[in-house]
Amino acid sequence: MKTLRKCQLDKALDTISQNAVVYAPVKKGEMSCFVRYQDGVELELEENTLFSPKGILFPAAEKMYSYETTGLDMEIKKSDREFGLSVLFGVRSCDVQAIVCLDDVFLSKGFADEYYLTRRQETTIVALGCTNPGVNCFCQSMGLNPLEHEMADVQLFDLGDIYGLRARTEKGEILVKALDEVGLLAAGEGVSNPEVGEFFYNFSPEGVVEKLQMMFESPLWNELAQKCLNCGVCTFLCPTCHCFDISGKKQTAHCGHKLRCWDSCMFSEYTLMAGGHNPRPTKMERVRQRFMHKLRYFPERYGKFLCTGCGRCMAKCPVNLEITQVIRQVKEAVI
Amino acid sequence: MVRETVKWATSEEIKHINALVPKKAKIIKIIKETLDITTFHISSENGRIPFDTAPGQLVMLSLLGVGEGMFSVTNAGDHLEISVKKTGVLTDALHEVVEGQTVGIRGAYGNGFPVDFCRGKNLLFIAGGIGLAPVRSLIHHAVKRRDEFGSLHLIYGSRSPADLVYKTELFETWPAVSDFKVSLTVDHGDDEWQGNVGFVPAFVEQIQPSVENTACILCGPPIMIKYTLGVLDSLGFSPENIFTTLEMRMKCGIGKCGRCNIGSCYVCLDGPVFSLAQLKCLPNEF
Repeated sequence: MKTLRKCQLDKALDTISQNAVVYAPVKKGEMSCFVRYQDGVELELEENTLFSPKGILFPAAEKMYSYETTGLDMEIKKSDREFGLSVLFGVRSCDVQAIVCLDDVFLSKGFADEYYLTRRQETTIVALGCTNPGVNCFCQSMGLNPLEHEMADVQLFDLGDIYGLRARTEKGEILVKALDEVGLLAAGEGVSNPEVGEFFYNFSPEGVVEKLQMMFESPLWNELAQKCLNCGVCTFLCPTCHCFDISGKKQTAHCGHKLRCWDSCMFSEYTLMAGGHNPRPTKMERVRQRFMHKLRYFPERYGKFLCTGCGRCMAKCPVNLEITQVIRQVKEAVI
Repeated sequence: MVRETVKWATSEEIKHINALVPKKAKIIKIIKETLDITTFHISSENGRIPFDTAPGQLVMLSLLGVGEGMFSVTNAGDHLEISVKKTGVLTDALHEVVEGQTVGIRGAYGNGFPVDFCRGKNLLFIAGGIGLAPVRSLIHHAVKRRDEFGSLHLIYGSRSPADLVYKTELFETWPAVSDFKVSLTVDHGDDEWQGNVGFVPAFVEQIQPSVENTACILCGPPIMIKYTLGVLDSLGFSPENIFTTLEMRMKCGIGKCGRCNIGSCYVCLDGPVFSLAQLKCLPNEF
């Protein structure tokens, strides 16, 4: 493990910025999110950001292609996608795991999504281990190690006045080497991994998938639906929620572009078909879909939960509908 | 927790990259089937089929400036055919399209009918209304390779004689094919209608089609499917031998946008064709 003095972090980020666009966690008033790093930004490294870095790899709205019609003819032009080398700096274990989930969705099962693929291939993930879990955090309960994630390219450890750095991939080694070459790193001999603080939540989701396989008709969903407002803030902030809509924007009568943007299974029009049939017509079906997708369908399809324990949905839910509680209720449900 | 390694696009598993951008295609022929159903013949710019499709697969047709929608391929040869019923903004706009107009098309998506399973079997097709559109792709496949299949029987119903689609095929082409029986019914007849009057499920019960070595392909409005399944069950059809094709709201067609799932299955990718045995294992949410 190499080490970097915290007071030299700005220099390190400046060095990386010479070769890549760095996205770092930044505080913006009440909000915090990943933005392009530049001089003078106030980094938020104490706690995880309100917005996950999902939007860097999978933007909330993106142009897919533009079109122009002339008479009966038409031209389709794919959008130029110049993303360039990028570094996601300071990603927590929960959000690295969320990217692993997005990889499964966008890059497997026969089709790769080119828009996501381009960004993903050009991105180096620098993860930052958590030593001080937040009040809503439960990544450890979801089977993650808050201190490190094996899918990160570089893992940072908070060691008080210094960061420990460990490159995990070829991409990561290139980045660490670049910092080493300008003399920012020291050999971290004898440095040991930090320890993680207490979590408020401590449970195991074991058996939830199997339990939910028998709970499609459970009264639990009605109970939860009475509380839920279907506002969609949970899916909006969730680092793993990836459902999207494809829609068009007309610039004139003859030209415009297609774009895709985040969508939410919480909204009634999400599954509404032309002709009026809606397979998920009420809140009950939509609430059930969200929890079933995270805790049963996704594990069935991809072998992992679609919840990484970041706690954002719990922090911002206006009616305190908490997924940790749902997991408990599922485990306790008598079938 | 199981952690799978990332499956990058270079892996064997990935067959297509960027399936979301349509290619240009041309409407080469428009056939008005009924008052609200029209069939479109679509070819690529150089007059060929835009891409290969299998019976029962889906294509995303794009009318730029209006929207895109998923339709089942109803026939494929040197061009593609889809039949569209007026039900909303896009389908209304499609009915205004003229021959020669350029559209966007992408696909083909989905699993299609189990052609290998059907080979060597008698095929019983049961359809209602526009539900004949997807079934027709398999009928054409079987008619073209007549010796690969046993007897063919189509039981088809619509609201009225005027609502019957593919009339030439129903009354002339298919009855002339060897060992192909066509049985038609309408909910309400008119002065000229000589055939059966009544709903499809009752008509199937009346006909008592043979179960022996027979695969049944069923497509139509949900209410028709529901009651026909009851009849098929009483006739002795096993759930493994009954196939239907589902529809769902879709945006991507490649199992990513999330909205066409039934449990952990995506209709656009793992469907749209399911056996009744498969459907019985899925949550009842379609």
